[in-house]
Amino acid sequence: MKNPYFPIPMEVKKAYVETTDRMLRTLELGFLSQADEKAFHFIPGQFCELSVLGKGEAPFGIASSPKENGSLKFTINKAGVVTTALHHLEEGGKIGIRGPLGNGYPIDLFKGKNLLVIGGGFAFTTLRSLIAYLLHPENRSKVNEITVVYGARMPGLLLYKEELTQWEKRSDLKLVVTVDWGDKDWKGKVGLVPNVLEEVAPSSENTYAVICGPPIMIKFTFPKLMALRFPNERIYTSLEKRMKCGIGKCGRCNIGPLYVCKDGPVFSYAQLEKLPKDY
Amino acid sequence: MKLKLDKKDFEDFLQSLMDEQDLYAPVQLAEGVSVFKRIDQPGEVNLTQFPSQKPAKDVFFPQSEVMFRYGKVGNQNEIHSMEEVKRERILFGARPCDIEAISIIEKVFVGKEYTDVYFLEKRKKTTIMGLGCNHPLSTCFCSSAGGDPFLRAGSDLFFIDLGEVYFVELLTEKGMAFRNNKFFKEADPKDLTLVKELEEKAFEKIGFSIPVDGIEKRLDLMAESSWWDRVHEKCVGCRICTYLCPTCHCFDMVDEASIDKGQRVRHWDSCLSSLYSQETSGHNPRPTTRERTRQRLMHKFNYYPKMFGQVACVGCGRCIIYCPVHFDIRQAILWTSPKRSKRFVGERI
Amino acid sequence: MEERQKAIQDRIREKARELLTNKAVDLIIGLGEGTLPLRATPIFIRNPEEADRLIWNSFCENNLATYLHKFSHSKVGIVLKGCDARSIIALSLEKRFKPDQLFLIGVPCQRMVDRRRVTKAVKGEILHAHEQGDQIIVEGEDFKTALKKNDFLYPSCQVCTHRTPVQANVWVGDPVEESPLVETHPEIKEFEKKSPEERWKYFEKESSRCIRCYACREVCPMCYCTECFVDSSNPRWIEKGLSPSDLEFYHIVRAYHQTGRCSGCGACERACPMEIRLTYLTQKLNLDVKEIFGFETGIDGDTPPPLSTYEIEDRQEFIK
Repeated sequence: MKNPYFPIPMEVKKAYVETTDRMLRTLELGFLSQADEKAFHFIPGQFCELSVLGKGEAPFGIASSPKENGSLKFTINKAGVVTTALHHLEEGGKIGIRGPLGNGYPIDLFKGKNLLVIGGGFAFTTLRSLIAYLLHPENRSKVNEITVVYGARMPGLLLYKEELTQWEKRSDLKLVVTVDWGDKDWKGKVGLVPNVLEEVAPSSENTYAVICGPPIMIKFTFPKLMALRFPNERIYTSLEKRMKCGIGKCGRCNIGPLYVCKDGPVFSYAQLEKLPKDY
Repeated sequence: MKLKLDKKDFEDFLQSLMDEQDLYAPVQLAEGVSVFKRIDQPGEVNLTQFPSQKPAKDVFFPQSEVMFRYGKVGNQNEIHSMEEVKRERILFGARPCDIEAISIIEKVFVGKEYTDVYFLEKRKKTTIMGLGCNHPLSTCFCSSAGGDPFLRAGSDLFFIDLGEVYFVELLTEKGMAFRNNKFFKEADPKDLTLVKELEEKAFEKIGFSIPVDGIEKRLDLMAESSWWDRVHEKCVGCRICTYLCPTCHCFDMVDEASIDKGQRVRHWDSCLSSLYSQETSGHNPRPTTRERTRQRLMHKFNYYPKMFGQVACVGCGRCIIYCPVHFDIRQAILWTSPKRSKRFVGERI
Repeated sequence: MEERQKAIQDRIREKARELLTNKAVDLIIGLGEGTLPLRATPIFIRNPEEADRLIWNSFCENNLATYLHKFSHSKVGIVLKGCDARSIIALSLEKRFKPDQLFLIGVPCQRMVDRRRVTKAVKGEILHAHEQGDQIIVEGEDFKTALKKNDFLYPSCQVCTHRTPVQANVWVGDPVEESPLVETHPEIKEFEKKSPEERWKYFEKESSRCIRCYACREVCPMCYCTECFVDSSNPRWIEKGLSPSDLEFYHIVRAYHQTGRCSGCGACERACPMEIRLTYLTQKLNLDVKEIFGFETGIDGDTPPPLSTYEIEDRQEFIK
């Protein structure tokens, strides 16, 4: 019987720092066994538990899209013992992975609709997966208009900068990148995400919204979404919660009768309204 | 199949079991302190103390368990998973409440998508020999929580103390495998009569006084009640109730390592500890005992029933006896019942 | 004896009613009737009508000072025995609450009954218990026994010489004679007779039962660190499992963190579900502190604990 706690061995193919404060680092991981690679199917919004033997395990959203064959991309914020160990891994470093875990974004619901994506800071990881997946030629036609508002505190703290530049040039995507404070080289928008959203004012008709960001950003952006007449059933978010096993056994991440690791981490606000405010 | 075992043969009987399999039974570590552990000598078994501090879940879901060991060989890590159970096991002397609790944990651990192999391996390789409760304590309320002092469900063999002999019922296929044990004899009709008498006496004593029935719906209406502001006050946030509870199953996973080798271990954890939900950002969704006590009571009587259709409490009474500040879960349950007095002044909790 | 206890109980209720009626405090922390015999339970009352829930008897063993950390934002009235009051003084030295935050209701203590030893002295479940003079009458389904109260007191109560709270806003009883029942803590007497190897064996045996429930830590008023050393992940001082060395490490370090701060109330030992003996450690350390530094925790509100302060005159002969 398959042991769901047993990590699959992976290797670091590429590792590079994303942000100027050096706190965010992206790892591109390759499978060591072809069989494992073939068996690994995921959808945007899912996460994996990354293991550094001797240090521990921690959950990270998958930043790469399922259509980007080969490596899995994760962006890691240096915060504690495990993440510091992940930051010290170089190319060739060995790492374990368990996944894909979680429920992922409800892409079936987005079919034939418009999509509004709002991201803040380093919560953008799974949103990248979602956007890259939908921009793929095979998938682009599934969804109508895609609007993305992505903000960070400062230009140096934006993730996936090269990709953002490419995406800004696309005609099949409306991307607005903003920062709270600009610097002398920043030519783009300056403004807080909630305010920029108000400016962009996408129509809520036939549109789903996906929002991921720090609690303070969500707190001020949510009223703007209300003002734009987005109903709770059409606003989705990916919740952060302390996790351990990732498979709904250890009990740590429960909110009411749901486990964030198994029944989430993606929930609609309509679902969250019915749950206790344990997050 | 209804048999009996003379108490004179009890230790030899246990020895006959131990010759073939590992035997887990209640053992007294000190006067008044008893746990379930593997027996080396039949004389270690102690069936007089109920409830034991550590419940029978320890036999299937140990407090500390190595999940896998690894060692560095060159640049590679060699990892060995540790779920294999080499020898068949017997759990002897667990009461119906503890046995029912194992199936409550099993519902979580053995799922459609993922199965906790560590738990399942132990469960599959264990024969459960339950023991009936002739004298339920005043703190027992198993019958209110859907069980009873002589509940056979979950046991492969069921023992009842008749004084000079144990009445033994073989209930399942696993149980029937013991029918040829040389210490078992056919039960007499008078033994059966005595069993019936004991069962009736125990049922009468324990009653149905705690209104567990319907508590899920009642708690639905109380999710944001100010009642939670009072319930938690005396709780100091230790872990006794969760560790001694036969159904609680939260755990933590940590790596313990030296330079070139180590292991991933899981330990019991408790939603009542202050750092349980602490997030890396510093935010703690359950910062005080108010949220944590609510989580515990709601999980047992509202969330778990929503997921699995029964309450996650078997009425063993350990949390009532061993809580250092005498938090009585029966009072908390009574307080959700419409039968309590309307005027809530925070009393009786 | 009972009249004295009843008088104290009445006065506690009277005072509580008065304080709550005048809104001098937001909340009173005291002890109420438990659902099980031989037990009282902490209660938290906010209305004068609830004052009659407060009780006083020889089962009022809980040290309520530990709740102050939880109610630090309220003005609190609190019922305290002698040992509890010493904890309050120790906490005030560590600046754990604001000066006018507390109203101390001091109770000169008659010594608390060791409920576990009472339970072990009879065969069968105790269903009722009450005090009668200097006896405890316990009743079960088929027995009724009278036990001499003084034979069943907690070890920490037997050696106590500060049963009257040293400080209080009001005392609800007359001060009691401060002579201990026994000169030396019975377990320390035994412990001191042992050789170092025997002492270690005893400690090893006791700590081997530990299940890391941390009840000893949570009921202790002096353990209030938001991150205890056992929870530290970097540096990781101790693992979370049951390896004997970890269990021993936890108990030794916790005892040492209490040195010079522990009032000897015994709450840790009473809370332990595995009945691990703990007061022999803490009391022995207290005795050592008294001998070496001439200091007793919680007696005066000015002298800081010796192990938390540094003076130029401190002994230095151990620095080589």
